[in-house]
Order: sequence, then C-alpha cells, then structure tokens
Amino acid sequence: MNRERGTARGRARAAAAVVLALGLCTAACSAGGPPSIVGKQTLRIGVKADQPGLGLRLADGRFTGFDVDVATYVAGKLGVPPGRITFVPVTSATREKVLENGSVDMVVATYSITPERETLVTFAGPYYVAHQDTMVRADETAIRTVHDLKGKRLCAAAGSNSWKRVTQELGIAAKLVPAPSYSACVAMLLAGKVDAVSTDDLILAGFAARAGRAVRILNAPFSDEPYGIGLRKGDLSGCEAINRAISQMYLDGTAARLLRKWFGHTKLQLDPYVPQFEGCG
Amino acid sequence: MLASAGPGAPLHGPRGRRPTAGLGRLGLRATPGRVRAFAAVVVLAMAGFYIVASIAVGNARDGLRVIGHDAGPQVLATADLYFALSDMDSQVADILLAGSGSRPGTGRALIRYSQDRATADRAALQAAELSAGDPTDQASVRSVLDGLGQYERLASQAMVLGRQANRPPGPPPAAVIAVYRQATDLMKLQLLPQAYNLTLAGGATVREAYEAKRSAVSSGRVWVALTGLAVLVALAGLQFFLAARFRRQVNFALALATAGLIVLGVSAVRLLSGEAAQLQLAKADGFDSILTMSRARAISNSMRADEIRFLLDPGRADIYSLDYLDVAQTILYVPSGNLGEYYTGLGTAERAYQANSRSVSFLGFFGEEAHAHPGPALTVVLTRFEQVQADDQRMRQLAGAGHSQQAIAVLTGQTAGSSGYDFDRYDQAVVSLISLHRQAFDQAVRTGDQDLGRSVLGSWASLLPVAALGVALLVIAGVRPRLAEYR
Repeated sequence: MNRERGTARGRARAAAAVVLALGLCTAACSAGGPPSIVGKQTLRIGVKADQPGLGLRLADGRFTGFDVDVATYVAGKLGVPPGRITFVPVTSATREKVLENGSVDMVVATYSITPERETLVTFAGPYYVAHQDTMVRADETAIRTVHDLKGKRLCAAAGSNSWKRVTQELGIAAKLVPAPSYSACVAMLLAGKVDAVSTDDLILAGFAARAGRAVRILNAPFSDEPYGIGLRKGDLSGCEAINRAISQMYLDGTAARLLRKWFGHTKLQLDPYVPQFEGCG
Repeated sequence: MLASAGPGAPLHGPRGRRPTAGLGRLGLRATPGRVRAFAAVVVLAMAGFYIVASIAVGNARDGLRVIGHDAGPQVLATADLYFALSDMDSQVADILLAGSGSRPGTGRALIRYSQDRATADRAALQAAELSAGDPTDQASVRSVLDGLGQYERLASQAMVLGRQANRPPGPPPAAVIAVYRQATDLMKLQLLPQAYNLTLAGGATVREAYEAKRSAVSSGRVWVALTGLAVLVALAGLQFFLAARFRRQVNFALALATAGLIVLGVSAVRLLSGEAAQLQLAKADGFDSILTMSRARAISNSMRADEIRFLLDPGRADIYSLDYLDVAQTILYVPSGNLGEYYTGLGTAERAYQANSRSVSFLGFFGEEAHAHPGPALTVVLTRFEQVQADDQRMRQLAGAGHSQQAIAVLTGQTAGSSGYDFDRYDQAVVSLISLHRQAFDQAVRTGDQDLGRSVLGSWASLLPVAALGVALLVIAGVRPRLAEYR
C-alpha cells in the first residue's frame, strides 16, 4: 500500500513537471525571436550628444533635444516613466553595435532608415521625415538652390552621406572639403573656409540657432531622410508598439508641440503629420 | 454472496478486507466504493479531456476566423486604400501633363480617377470597420476621409485650370502647378502615410492574434494528448481492478469506451496539428506575402506618380528624381548612389537571379519575396520591373537632352517600349503574383475550416461533447452491473 502511494506520488510529481514544462514553454516559446523591449521596467536609450536641438548633452550631464523628447514620450507609452530611462550617448558609427551587443535597448539618434541598415536593425517609425537642405553664410547671395553649389566649396563631414546626395545623386560638381564633424563644418563656414554645409534640415536648424544671424538656411529641401527608432533586429512586438506610440504622438498634438518647441524659431517648413512607417517585418 | 455496501455500512465485498475506520467511512475500503471512486476518476479525467480539447479546437477556430475571415481580409482591403489614393494622384498628374488638347489617354485617366475614388471610399469603409475599438486607428480613418474631400476639391480645381489654359502637352502654367502642389503634398504628406500605417497596424493585429492562437493550438495539442493519456491510464486501471476483483476478463462497455477514446484522442491531436499547419500556411504563404506584395504594388504606383511629376513640375524635378530613386529602392534595393548606378545595379542583380534563383543579391520587397517564395511568377515581375526602369532611363535621357515632347511620349505612351504600357504590364504581373498567394491563403483557410467542420458528427464543436458524454456513459454502463452485484 505504501509502495503504491509512493508511485502515485511519483506519478503526480511527474505530471506536475510536465505541466510546469508546458507552462514554461507556452510562456517562452510563444514569444519567438529575441526578447522584446515591451514589458521592460527600465530603458537604456541611445541618443546623440553633440547635435543641438536633437540630442545634446548639457554640462550637468542631462540630455536635451527633439530626439530626447520623442524617446521620452515613446518610453512613457511603453510604460517606462522618465525616472527609469538612462540616456546613453551614441555616434553615427556606434549605433548598430550598441543595439547588437545589448548595451542600449533602443536608439533615437537622427537615425535614417536605409535598406542596408534594415538588414542589421529593426526600425520603428519614422517618427519624422527630415529633408536635406543647405546652410550658407548670411551674406551669401549667389547660392539659392542646391544647383548653385557647382564649383563652390562644400563641407564633407566624416561618417555622413549627405554630401554624396549633392555630388553623386544629383551630380552637382561641388568642391568637397573634408571635416571631422558637422560642428567643425559650421565653424569652417563661419571662418570662410567652406561656402556651404548640406545635410538634414533639423541638424542645420540646431546649428543655425547657435550661430544666430551669421548663417542662413536656403529652405530648398531636396531629399527625404526618414528618422527611425532603432531596435534589436527581430523585435517585432517592440516595433509595432512603438509605431502605435508614434501615431498617438501625432494624434494628441505632442509631435506638433515638440517640433514647435525645438524648431519653431526657425524658418523650416515643419510637417506635423504622421510619417509613412516602414513596417516592422 | 450479495451484501449491501452503502456508506456507513461497510461490509466485505466478494474479496473484501476488514476496513480501517477512516477509509471505511468514505466507503473506499469496500469494493463498491472503490469502483465508484475509480469510475468517478475516469469520468473526471474525461471531463478534463473534453475541456482541454474544446479550448484547443476553439482556439483553432478563432485563429482561422481572425486571419481568414475578419481582420485578415480587412487588412488586405486597406492596402487597396493606399493603392487607390496614390493612383488618383497619379491620374491627376497624367491629365495635367496631357495639356488642353485631347489625348486618347486622358479620357481613360479620368475614368480611372473616378474608379479609384470609388475604390478608396469602399476601402475606407472596410478600414473603419477594422479599426472599431482602436481610437488611434479610428482617428486615422476619419482624417483620411476628411483629407480625401479636400484633395478632391484641389485636384478638380487644378484639372479645370489646366483645361482652361490653351497649351500643348507638358508642364502647365505656374498657377496650375501651385494648386496641384497643394493637392499632391496633401496626398503625400497626410493621406498616403495614414492609409499605409492603417494597413501596417492591421497587419500587426493579425500577427499578434496569429502568434497567440497558433501557440495556443500547438500547446493545446500537447494538453489533449496528455489528458487523453490520463483518461486511458484511469480506464486501464479500472479495467484491471474489475478484472481482478470480479474475475472477468473483458468489460465490454469499458473496452468500447477505451477504443472510442483512442480514436477520439488520436483524431483530435491530428486535427490540431493540421490546424496549426493550416494557420501557418495561411499566415506565412498567404497573408504575409499578399500584404508585402500589395504594399509593393501600392508603392510602385507612387513611383510611377513621381515619374510623371518629374516632367510635370520642373521646379521640383530634383525632389521627384530623388523620391523616385528612394521608392524604387524600397521595392528592389541594390546599392547605388544615383539613378544611373541603380539601372546598372538592377540589371546585374536580375541577371544573377535569372541564372540562379538562389543568388538573391537585392533587398527590398522583392528581395523578401525572392527569399520566401521564388518562382516563375516573381521572375516575370522582376523582368517587367527592369523594363519599367529601362523606360524610365530613356525618358530621363530625353528630358535631360531637352526633348520634352519625346520624353512625354515615352512616359505616357501605350505601346511596348513606352512606360505607360510597360508599367501596366508590370502591374499586371504583380497582381498575378498576389493572386497566387491569395489562392494559397484561401486554400489554407478552406482546408482549416473544412477539417474543423468534418467529423462523424459534423463539426468538431458538436462531436466533442457527444463523444465525451458517450465515453462517460460507457464507463457508467460498464461499472453499473458490477455495483448491482452488491445490492
């Protein structure tokens, strides 16, 4: 009798183990793919540290800018309040790496969605479509459109593709002057070492706000730069949840308010309409 | 021989032993009590099997309903919304480019414009139905409908102005361009993105439902097997107990119950495996590909519109050229810095693919499709896409050399070698590819539905309770004569 009860208990234990295994499997197996940022209690978000108006680290270590505000809004919609967000500075060159090695959960850093990058990163959004434009010195009158850059000195910032749009895509024969970064480009523009800086209008607007009346943006946009939110490759639920958050950001007026807050003082044409998403799959 | 075995009066059964006080009160020491307890365990296990199987079958039915009948088809309908909207703008550009003289294409473009309008209205209604319950999506649908009214006013204003100016084919006067720009900007910046995002949001809903249901069906299958096994063990136990206590070899009713349970359990597990497979087929081979290719078709139409706008609005020729390249690369991506490199890269990538369909050196929508579903239908699409690009290249060369009338002729012509004609043929090839996936989708949904509805007693939903009750009744029928021996 005792032996029988023993086996019965053993059987019950085996059944419980099977039930447990099944339970674990339905929880873990259904997720499919890498862990999602949905449901995370805290978030590490990669932003730029050196782009005024978009992502800039202040002297006290805080980050400010349009990208930072967008990231904070999206995190809020994912259930993570500002107090549980850690902003991590990233550069154009490190964005894929930090996502892949998991040191950040998402990247909101003037990150244009391109087919090549889509093979490495899952992009939510775009949350804004910037346009390439050109900045010149305020007293420059000979340059009115990008075509007037023919024969002029155009700054080519390291790691950026913007100058290629001018010389390769549009085939305009500008003289390229290399520079380490866009802040260096702006300094060279003010010093008269280059005639023009051409890149995303939002980036130019941030620098123009600092340089004051010394510079002018042509306001002749000629390309679409869809800024996406980078996630670890394959995080479909995270991507879909962020797309929902971006739609809400435009519907509830937050996007328009943030654009006004950061770029309202410029003459840029701001589009307060939800951009066409790339799709997560 | 006969003895009463009621509760509180435990007596020896045929081979009974002296009861201990506690168990005796429950009647479990005595044989009839044990028989009842055993039978109760079998019936309870059977109830468990029934519940688990009904839930799993219910999940399969829900999964098929969402993908095959409700959200799935509605999402696909919203893709038509984007197509119809972008086609409206494309036709308006075509009409404006034609000038005030009548060209055979103009009448056709006007008819297509009004057909597109009707399609857009229908698709918007579908989208509205789909978005019921989601305030964000509902607001988007309303916004698209409001914007559509505004777009139509601007478009007809531009077309009326364009007719009034007496002019040859080519860019219309600045006043017409100004109105058209308002219309096309409204379309491109507000209406198309919202329509596209609605489709994506619907696709996300379907994906979530699919993942949840498919994993529920898969784990349901394991649960059905386990509970079925539990019933089987309990039944076998009861059989052995009766055989030992009553010295009878086979209890006919219990044997029948066992056989019935095995047949039921095996067919239920097979059914659920089949349903999980059909769900996966409907999703991966059907829905996903239809959605991807419908998006490719809609985006292709935007590409065509950018091509027409390039000639229509020289002031924005740069913008429309870069847009054209961006859109073309969304459809089929090869690394290229400008359109010239794109034409070359496209040719190389396609020749490599034609030679060996496993060498997919391109990305974008067609890259996805080439990896997931290579086949002759896709090859036709790719060949015709390349032809469209060849026409585009010729058109841009002519325009660049100042032969604008010839460029317009290439762009709008309706004979082979002109992009109007070749684009339509390309579009037809994409539609054929979509309909292939549509067949796979319909087939998977139909098979899934049929299997759920096909059992000895009609649908599985009606078979399960009857079968479970049948097995339970057989168990009771099997033990009743033995219990009667104690009355």
